[in-house]
Amino acid sequence: MLARRFAVALGLSVALASCSPAAGTVRLLETGSTLIYPLMNLWVAAYQGEHVDVEITTQSTGSGTGISQAIAGVAQIGASDAYMPDAAMREHPMLNVPLAISAQVIAYNLPGLGGVHLHLSGPLLAAIYGGRLAYWDDQRILAENAALRGRLPHRAIVPIRRSDGSGDTFIFTQYLSETTPSWRSGPGFGTTVSWPASGTVGANGNPGVLQTCEDAPYSIAYVGISFMDQVNGAHLGYAALRNRAGAYVLPTTPAIAAAAAALVSRTPRDERISLIDAPGAGSYPIINYEYAIVNPHQPTLQIERALAGFLEWTLSTRGGQRPVFLNAVHFIALPPVVARLSRDQVARITSP
Amino acid sequence: MAVRQGELRPAVMQRVRTQPLLRYATGAFALTSFGIIFLMLLFLLAYAFPAIRFNGTAFFTSPIWNIGNQYGSATVTRAGFTAQAGASFGSLVFVSGTLLSSFLAMIAAVPLSLLVALAIVYRVPASLKPLANAVVELMAGVPSVIYGLWGMIVLVPFIGNRLSPTGSGDGLLAATLILALMVVPIMVATTRDVVQAQQASIYEASMALGSTSWQAVTRAVLPSVRSGIAGSVLLAFGRALGETMAVLMVCGAAINTLPHGIFSPINTIAAVIVSQLESALTDASGMAQRSLGELALALFVITLIVNAVARIVLHGGDRSGAIG
Repeated sequence: MLARRFAVALGLSVALASCSPAAGTVRLLETGSTLIYPLMNLWVAAYQGEHVDVEITTQSTGSGTGISQAIAGVAQIGASDAYMPDAAMREHPMLNVPLAISAQVIAYNLPGLGGVHLHLSGPLLAAIYGGRLAYWDDQRILAENAALRGRLPHRAIVPIRRSDGSGDTFIFTQYLSETTPSWRSGPGFGTTVSWPASGTVGANGNPGVLQTCEDAPYSIAYVGISFMDQVNGAHLGYAALRNRAGAYVLPTTPAIAAAAAALVSRTPRDERISLIDAPGAGSYPIINYEYAIVNPHQPTLQIERALAGFLEWTLSTRGGQRPVFLNAVHFIALPPVVARLSRDQVARITSP
Repeated sequence: MAVRQGELRPAVMQRVRTQPLLRYATGAFALTSFGIIFLMLLFLLAYAFPAIRFNGTAFFTSPIWNIGNQYGSATVTRAGFTAQAGASFGSLVFVSGTLLSSFLAMIAAVPLSLLVALAIVYRVPASLKPLANAVVELMAGVPSVIYGLWGMIVLVPFIGNRLSPTGSGDGLLAATLILALMVVPIMVATTRDVVQAQQASIYEASMALGSTSWQAVTRAVLPSVRSGIAGSVLLAFGRALGETMAVLMVCGAAINTLPHGIFSPINTIAAVIVSQLESALTDASGMAQRSLGELALALFVITLIVNAVARIVLHGGDRSGAIG
């Protein structure tokens, strides 16, 4: 009797275990940047519709996690807004493959401003996040926003930063470093920086930053542009940032494209380059490549083919670079010369 | 023949002594639990050793946590160990946040737990007692993440909009309230058990002497279970010290800044290990991970001490009231 029950249990568990996808389905894991996560979801949904033999899981965990999981081999694609530093590249020579160009907005929760865009600059933001500028009606803010005199409240600014290893932190602190010498020699830039003691509040991921900004009046935050629709939906404002030419520019698609046009020609073969603070009167200063951090040595031929296939689809103008995907997240497509460099890198993926 | 708590009857002990397999097997298993703790301590010490040497005493006095400039090539070497230039690991923010939030949570939770436990034992009608007990045990079993989620969605916006002068609700107050909510059921359960195990004769004797119910409880019953309550408070304190997820979601993830008020963002050791782990993995020199290991070691030692003191206090005052 017992033996029969045991046999039934065994049979059931074998049957359950074999209810996995059909043999030949390759499973890929993408993890990392919360900035590119909405776009990844659109891409994966479309790609899996056409390719049923590949199953891709996406996760929104932060660029720092994306890089470390790709290095560890847990994830095949580590999405990151930040390229890897030289020291890390020496230890782990990974491919940093740009898939799109994105941007970052500075959002703020100022009730009663009514759709007027604040003018902000790198030194101002460095002072806010450095604890040296405490109130919204500070003279330094009014100096750049003469039209808002009398409309900015005498309330303390609550700066919101990312508490996790974040590509958004990377590009934001790069903007601060490029524009403010005291920030460059102080906290500097990175996916994690030592924030000056200033009562900033930490939040986890872009969604966490948005939530915290929504909940805390008089707060200011840096948010990826893929969350622009939520910023507008939550009635948060976003700033016009001062670029290298001294003009205050909103994060529109033409402004991002202008910044990209000015700098992409300098992209090296390994494609690790900052696009921050581009020259040009119409350039938006905080734009970046969205990277897929990929190990050039994959364990099996199956995984190599599936991975290269997906990445090439995302880089193709008939695939992932179509406006239907990029416009939904306010990104712009890679210029052809950069897409070619990316495809060259993808071609370097091998297996034993 | 009177038997002390924790010992077996002499007849049983005799049988155990003549069965070597039973003795050695149970002895080995008893040693295993001690061995695991010891091995964990050894592992943490070995893993954190480079950080212990690199950070020195500044680890305990400095509020700055800086993994160094990852995007530069300059490095700094101290005591033979290397990290990226600018690296400096200080735990003051996290240790003070941990101790402060747990201590304040206990201040909020202990009176409430005592009164709830006394209410359950002496005031709740017998028909409702099983329900009350079930509710308390249910609250104790709710995963801490759920408290954290409630805190993040309900408590933090409430504090931010109604109470906090800065408009931000993440901080010491939110962390304290969440921790207090979490330890109350634990303390109610243990206090209730301790008070109920107390012989009813003490309460009845006091009432017979003409005291009011309140006087009987506070002057006769509670003093006799003092050590049991103190032990449960210390155990709950140990739990609050190590609480991770719930605090992580509401504390504000402060870095480099000590709290200066009840609404300031804070950070605790457990929360910072979780939130900084992936960032630490980007440190090419590995010193950031080792320093997180040193933080873990600090928390381990603090919790061991608190639990050891709790054990001593709980077993030290054994007044079950048995006579002969």
